[in-house]
Amino acid sequence: MRLLVVIPAYNEQESLPAVMADLAATCPEYDVLVVNDGSTDGTAALCRERGYPLLDLPVNLGLAGAFQAGLRYAASHEYDAAVQFDADGQHLARYIQPLAAKLGEGYDIVIGSRFVGKKRPFTARMLGSRLITAVMRLTTGTKILDPTSGMRCLDRAMIQSFAQNLNWPPEPDTISYLLRCGARVCEVPVEIAERQAGTSYLTLYKSLVYMAQITISMLVIQWFRKNEWKKGGRL
Amino acid sequence: MTSGIPIAMRALLILGSVGTGAFILGRIRSSKVQIRDSIFWILFSALLLFLSIFPGAAIWAAEQLGVESPVNFVFLFIIFILLVQLFSCNLRISQLDAKVRALTQKIALDENERKEDKKENP
Repeated sequence: MRLLVVIPAYNEQESLPAVMADLAATCPEYDVLVVNDGSTDGTAALCRERGYPLLDLPVNLGLAGAFQAGLRYAASHEYDAAVQFDADGQHLARYIQPLAAKLGEGYDIVIGSRFVGKKRPFTARMLGSRLITAVMRLTTGTKILDPTSGMRCLDRAMIQSFAQNLNWPPEPDTISYLLRCGARVCEVPVEIAERQAGTSYLTLYKSLVYMAQITISMLVIQWFRKNEWKKGGRL
Repeated sequence: MTSGIPIAMRALLILGSVGTGAFILGRIRSSKVQIRDSIFWILFSALLLFLSIFPGAAIWAAEQLGVESPVNFVFLFIIFILLVQLFSCNLRISQLDAKVRALTQKIALDENERKEDKKENP
């Protein structure tokens, strides 16, 4: 299986070397692509200096746009699978293989879940995660324990669709929409590390707006969307 | 029921709300708008619907603010919301403008670099 690890990076020059070293040591068989999302620090220069495979976006597009750029690359280079992987050191390379193995069992999307067989801590952010799980279960009948996990593995057809479509950001409402379209999604337990450097850009206000957006999208908008996902619909 | 909002006004609000909602959902269906940009209009049409079904809310708010007629409060409220939306649209356009400028310059610089490369090693 040819698998591409897509690493969207915005101002991650501090943590990127450790992430790349982890990947090179743990799973050298997978290809890696750093998508520099218009960073203002030395992320791009660091990649060139150390020879990391780099897709350098000249302006900042945000996580969804950067990840999509990586998927366009994966689609045009005909990869069988792509994994979304954080540049801040929270994701661990040793969990990529289990994700890929599960995908090989015939799933379309495999989510690296922090909470399979575990209790979610009672923090504000986890309250949001619980709410999304509940709404998703209500509208799709499927229970996804870690819908906001940023570690996801997509198969070939999904790579094509995510690369092309306007309203398929890598967010829980897209997962929910795809479940309703008949996609096979499952979770594999993973552990995550504390972030190596930098701070999360999720402020309280942004989190609230995000929650409102995702919930409205899942509760209201989803019922009106067309099924744009067809199995094997390669373009 | 005695209501401070005339029935025709309420009908208009319902029409506006349903129309807005239907239009934006149609745009999403045909992939012409991003979902995050449609959220405002979904909420806005829900609000119009709320005001037309429960005019009591507008009457109460008008009394609190000393606005003489509840209909005027509805106008004021909608104008305020649209102003906020206009402001955020303006910010978005400003950012987009900066990005288009950066992209255009980048393309021109890259093109220039390629031509110079060709001249140096033909």
